[in-house]
Amino acid sequence: MAEVKSGFITTTVEVEGRTETRVVERPAFEPTPWGTDAALTHVGQSPPRVDAPEKVTGRARYTADIQRPRQAVALFLRSTVAKGTITHFDATAARAVPGVLAVMGPGDAPAKTRLFPSAISYAGQPIAAVCAESESVAWRALRAIVVQIDSLPFAATFEATAAPDAPKVRSAGNLAEPIVVSRGDVAAGLAAAEVTITREYRTPVALHSAMEPHGAVAEWEGDRLTIWESTQGIFRTRNDVARVLGIAQSQVRVIKEYMGGGFGAKNGAGAHTFTAALLAKQLQRPVRCVLERDGEQMDSGNRPATTQRVTLGARRDGTLTAIRLDADVPLGISGWEGGPAQLYHELYACANVHTTERFAHINASGMQAFRAPGYAEGAIGLEGAMNALATTLGIDPLELRRRNFAERDPRLDRAFTGNALRQCYDEAAERFGWTAPRPAPDRAHPERVRGRGVAAQTWPTGGGPPAYATARLNNDGSIEIASGTQDLGTGARTVLAQIAADAFGAALHDVRVVLGDTERAPYAGNSWGSMTTASVGPAVRMAAEDARAKLLDAASQLLNVPADALETRESRIIVRDSDRTMTFAEVTGKLGNVMIQGRGSRGPNPSDRAIVTVGVQMAEVEVDRMTGVVRVLRIVAAHDCGRVINPTLARSQLEGGILQGLGYALFEERRLDGATGVPLNPSLHDYKIPTMADCPAIDAWCVQNVDADANHTGARGLAEPPLIPTAPAIAAAVADALGVEVSELPLTPWRVLAALG
Amino acid sequence: MRLTINGRPWEGDPAGETTLLGLLRDDLELTGTKLSCDRGECGACTVQLDGRTVHACLTLAHGCDGQAVRTVEGLAGPEGALNDLQAAFIAHDAAQCGFCTPGQLMAADALLAANPRPSDEEIRAWMAGNLCRCGTYPNILTAIRAVAEARSRG
Ligand code: FES
Ligand code: FES
Repeated sequence: MAEVKSGFITTTVEVEGRTETRVVERPAFEPTPWGTDAALTHVGQSPPRVDAPEKVTGRARYTADIQRPRQAVALFLRSTVAKGTITHFDATAARAVPGVLAVMGPGDAPAKTRLFPSAISYAGQPIAAVCAESESVAWRALRAIVVQIDSLPFAATFEATAAPDAPKVRSAGNLAEPIVVSRGDVAAGLAAAEVTITREYRTPVALHSAMEPHGAVAEWEGDRLTIWESTQGIFRTRNDVARVLGIAQSQVRVIKEYMGGGFGAKNGAGAHTFTAALLAKQLQRPVRCVLERDGEQMDSGNRPATTQRVTLGARRDGTLTAIRLDADVPLGISGWEGGPAQLYHELYACANVHTTERFAHINASGMQAFRAPGYAEGAIGLEGAMNALATTLGIDPLELRRRNFAERDPRLDRAFTGNALRQCYDEAAERFGWTAPRPAPDRAHPERVRGRGVAAQTWPTGGGPPAYATARLNNDGSIEIASGTQDLGTGARTVLAQIAADAFGAALHDVRVVLGDTERAPYAGNSWGSMTTASVGPAVRMAAEDARAKLLDAASQLLNVPADALETRESRIIVRDSDRTMTFAEVTGKLGNVMIQGRGSRGPNPSDRAIVTVGVQMAEVEVDRMTGVVRVLRIVAAHDCGRVINPTLARSQLEGGILQGLGYALFEERRLDGATGVPLNPSLHDYKIPTMADCPAIDAWCVQNVDADANHTGARGLAEPPLIPTAPAIAAAVADALGVEVSELPLTPWRVLAALG
Repeated sequence: MRLTINGRPWEGDPAGETTLLGLLRDDLELTGTKLSCDRGECGACTVQLDGRTVHACLTLAHGCDGQAVRTVEGLAGPEGALNDLQAAFIAHDAAQCGFCTPGQLMAADALLAANPRPSDEEIRAWMAGNLCRCGTYPNILTAIRAVAEARSRG
């Protein structure tokens, strides 16, 4: 391990496609990178998830499973109008329902919480909360609240909110300043093109639809607040709560042991968190506030819709000369500007790129990051247009991508730490049989036509500081690793245990990983942006190595040999070139209550290098020309995420992303009623997500490409990338089958039939 | 009313509106069975009632009088030894976040009782009512198939 001067430096980190500059602490030492030839015992293997036994026995406790003594239940009353003013609110009858403990309505919550305003700005917005002894009492009381809302004209589409006489959606204005990003000279690039194509694509509002809804349980002990929350960021939730309630961060503890998925929608405290905390304080009882399914589908975040007008210019050999995008994105009432443009700048080598994104606020629930925000939408436009260009040029679409492969990060003109996209192209083509002759059409069913499509992907997955971990070796030789990150179902707990076991030279079953508790573990960031493995993995490795060095120091005293003559393997200390060994427990047992501890932190990323996960997917579909029904028969997916810590878990991530992408392609679409702005399908019945019956044959893997330049574990992120190319690959396969493009997602039967004319 | 819950007798008189899910989760603290949609759309609350799968969120507790309820907590053996289906879910990574898993297990267990050698198509059709947003379906299918094969080999 190399000694470096510790201290603070300025570095850049990429989160969800955005670049942020941060001042971070440089660790005291950087472990030697685990290169291709590193001798690793656990990393690269596929032990089962360390928490799988809890999950298959029902012992895993999720937020709604927390039952504190005297716990009460809170539920929301939600607006049924898209815009309006509450002119009358009467909760007298609700308060009189036996078992009701409290009602909060307009004006009852501190302004900073932004809870229960009397000005309504979207359908589904919480108007009031009822707290009761039980859920059924709370339901009854909700129905007894009398509310009068004077409804006002609203704008729930981009066109409506951008119109000159549009109702005011936000006082600061309905439209944000457009974001224009340009490199080269797109006009010159188009002039130089031998072929240009222009297309327009529309993508729907998609809902995260985690099986576990958002929820919190809050409990006060004196002036200290504990919150159990289904969250992707315990520290962010803690800080949100402290800021909004005006208390110190040290007064708030946030715990998340298990959670039923997040996918980007659970990145901080929400209305339910503040409501639970305020009611718990008022009643001096623990309060649980978990969203019901319609609340979850109406008001817990979404992937915003886009309209993308794309122009590509190319030479006859397929070389891109220009890429232009004009995009409209209605964000909802709130959210950040996660638009589709960035992918257009990053995926292909092209000297001239010009993108314009127009963001608008509308009277609908706010957007939240949703697995690969912006890139998933952008891939529909960019990859759709690339496939159309391939058809126009008569070039195989995979070959077109090969010809425009970016050797360097085209956006910032810097080298990649690693980018095996061409290897992904080769391996996927081989396993899919991309060049194999097509099967003969089904004579018995001439209406059933098959097609194939391809799409590629890139996504920034470097992770970065700050992230911390601690390691401690107990008396009995067992090891505890603590880091304030969280496992959303991704497998972080398992992957970090594997890294720690190898760094320590310990048996995997001796390692326990403690996550998801702001009081027990040092800071780690949100589990978003496919950052956890690449951010926290190195911190965990360093903590384990730091503790291991101390263990070896102590062992060298006991064994009377220099520490550098010692090795560790499977929780044993071995004197090199001898048969003398001691178990960790034998060493610690002799040390009494001395506690061996290690501290790890994530160092900065290499400067001037792009760290990305890339990949390609191929889809085969069957479309019924009579009914318009699309069936995905198989998906082949090859991605490069650097070193794979656990191949089985990686494959699960790939399959999960692919299935969400399949839903995005075929079924998923939040619909608002045009006349009222009210969501029409806030349920799992009407908002369709894929079921097992929709599941195609999936062949997904990560190509071998250890990336020791990205960070010293050699691993990059993987969670979001697989979602990006699935929908455009399916759309391309449908276009291939039909001979006509369907340019609006999802590819429902009526859209397919409409495209057929 | 009386029930047998995971082999143990239970007697009580819950409020008339109490669902089987409410009884299990809130009164008996058997929180393995999950609530996700509360309206029969997702399968997270799947339990077995006299061997048939039901949505506990749509089942009134009183309607179960005299019947045997089996939940995910009842799958493991007396000493906590995991049964073959649970072990297969672990071996094939058939639980990502794990939230849908109890319902998946109870549905799969009922499938194998009703049809010990299901085809892949039969597995897909039977399991289609149990949603999994993490997209664990391929691994769930593999786990069920593996158990069916192992059991038929005896
Ligand atoms: S919670 Fe019962 S079916 Fe969804
Ligand atoms: S494992 Fe997460 S919902 Fe199924």
